[in-house]
Amino acid sequence: MDMLISVLVILAKITCIFGGVITLAALTTLAERKVSAWIQFRHGPNRVGPWGILQPLADGVKFIYKEELVPDGANQVMFYLAPAMVAMPAMMGIAVLPFAAVSPLYQDTGPLAIANLDLSVLFILAFSGLSIYGVILGGWASNSKFSLLGALRASAQMISYELALLLSVAAILLMAGSANLVDIANDQQGSIFNWYIWKQPLAFLLFLIATFAETNRHPFDFAECEPELVAGFHTEYSSMRFALFFLGEYCAIIVMCAMTCTFFLGGFHVPFWADAPWFVQAGMFLAKICFFLFLFIWVRWTLPRFRFDQLMGLGWKTFLPLALLNLFVTGALVAAGVY
Amino acid sequence: MAIVKRKELSIGEKLYLPAIFRGLSMTFRQMFKKRVTRQYPEEPLPVNEVTRGQPRLAVNDDGTIRCVSCGLCEAACPAYAITIDGQETDRFIEREPERFDIDMLRCILCGFCEEACPKDAILMSDELELADFSREALIYDVERLKRPVSQLRPRLDYVYKVNERW
Repeated sequence: MDMLISVLVILAKITCIFGGVITLAALTTLAERKVSAWIQFRHGPNRVGPWGILQPLADGVKFIYKEELVPDGANQVMFYLAPAMVAMPAMMGIAVLPFAAVSPLYQDTGPLAIANLDLSVLFILAFSGLSIYGVILGGWASNSKFSLLGALRASAQMISYELALLLSVAAILLMAGSANLVDIANDQQGSIFNWYIWKQPLAFLLFLIATFAETNRHPFDFAECEPELVAGFHTEYSSMRFALFFLGEYCAIIVMCAMTCTFFLGGFHVPFWADAPWFVQAGMFLAKICFFLFLFIWVRWTLPRFRFDQLMGLGWKTFLPLALLNLFVTGALVAAGVY
Repeated sequence: MAIVKRKELSIGEKLYLPAIFRGLSMTFRQMFKKRVTRQYPEEPLPVNEVTRGQPRLAVNDDGTIRCVSCGLCEAACPAYAITIDGQETDRFIEREPERFDIDMLRCILCGFCEEACPKDAILMSDELELADFSREALIYDVERLKRPVSQLRPRLDYVYKVNERW
């Protein structure tokens, strides 16, 4: 009986959290178009449903009806697998995101997350690193020079920026003394000044910029890079396979935003209200995520794209030394017992 | 050979962050400005008597058609969009069209028919929308083309005003 209940609880959590995040990803595509429209004095999609809210649904239906093209000379197996290999790791990250300190479900102890792993930070970072395989394979299997160039750039960029990302996270892990997202969030409970953003401003900046590169977003979207590479690694993709790339990209952005919130903005904790009920905490978490999603879109429609050598120079010559310095200083301070 | 001297950047400029924040605040402010897109079906294009829309046949106040089926517009039409068959009538003008078709898919809205017409019977209206589900439905016959002359009066006055100049 207990077994059955725990299985049901897990299933309920998976349905709600996974469904919620996928819906949020769909709405982000709408928000992307809306915000870009507003910045350019346009209205954006407003024909499908009130305020265009059903546009993602209409897009989905359109994608299903589109023809699935496979280019000549493409590696069939890899070409089919690549979109799933991008989407799956991005979605895996959702599993460990904590949405509230205490789960409201029956007989469920612990935080409101599908899985409360002790190494959840490592879990997310490992899977976000894996998603690059899908990009490389998709670009290579397409048998197109644009796709291959996009994939090559994506992989080079991933390696350069993953380092800065991990090193800035390592400073946070040192301070929290745990690699569990729940512990990290709990460490920032209470006042707004307990947030790590005040203690680790440099790590915050490095992490934020590295997430832009990690998720292939502007100004670092060299994997796609429309003016140079048509559409980069997904040039040859159409129909639902293209949609899957898209979904994976937006899921990765949401997971990265959730990570940023948890590391630097107190995660699901409501400022000055330590024992808020679970729905307030989940709402707070979503609000913080939405702020960062808006930031991602906002930056995309503000900044021009980097040049590729500038990107590499920034990653290796600026971000890596700064992240290392930050890690050493934090380590020394933690060892000296200042934090 | 020209040598380009690059300006030395100060530390603040090398960080780029102040410039990025300026750009972000710029785009954020744009978001609340007035939108310039016209919401077309709800917000139609502005039209006046100068608008050269689709040609229409003027109908007198007593309900008789002005056209005498002389065929001048048919001859003037560069796209061969107009087809006229005339017939006799008891009215003073003696002739009127039995058939007057304009193929709106061929019409290029040039207004030559209006210029050619000696009776001010065919005039460019301010009607612009042209959409249907078949080609046949877009060949307009007399009944579809008729408009009361009162409705076309501003255009008629405008045509007279323009012609006075010559």
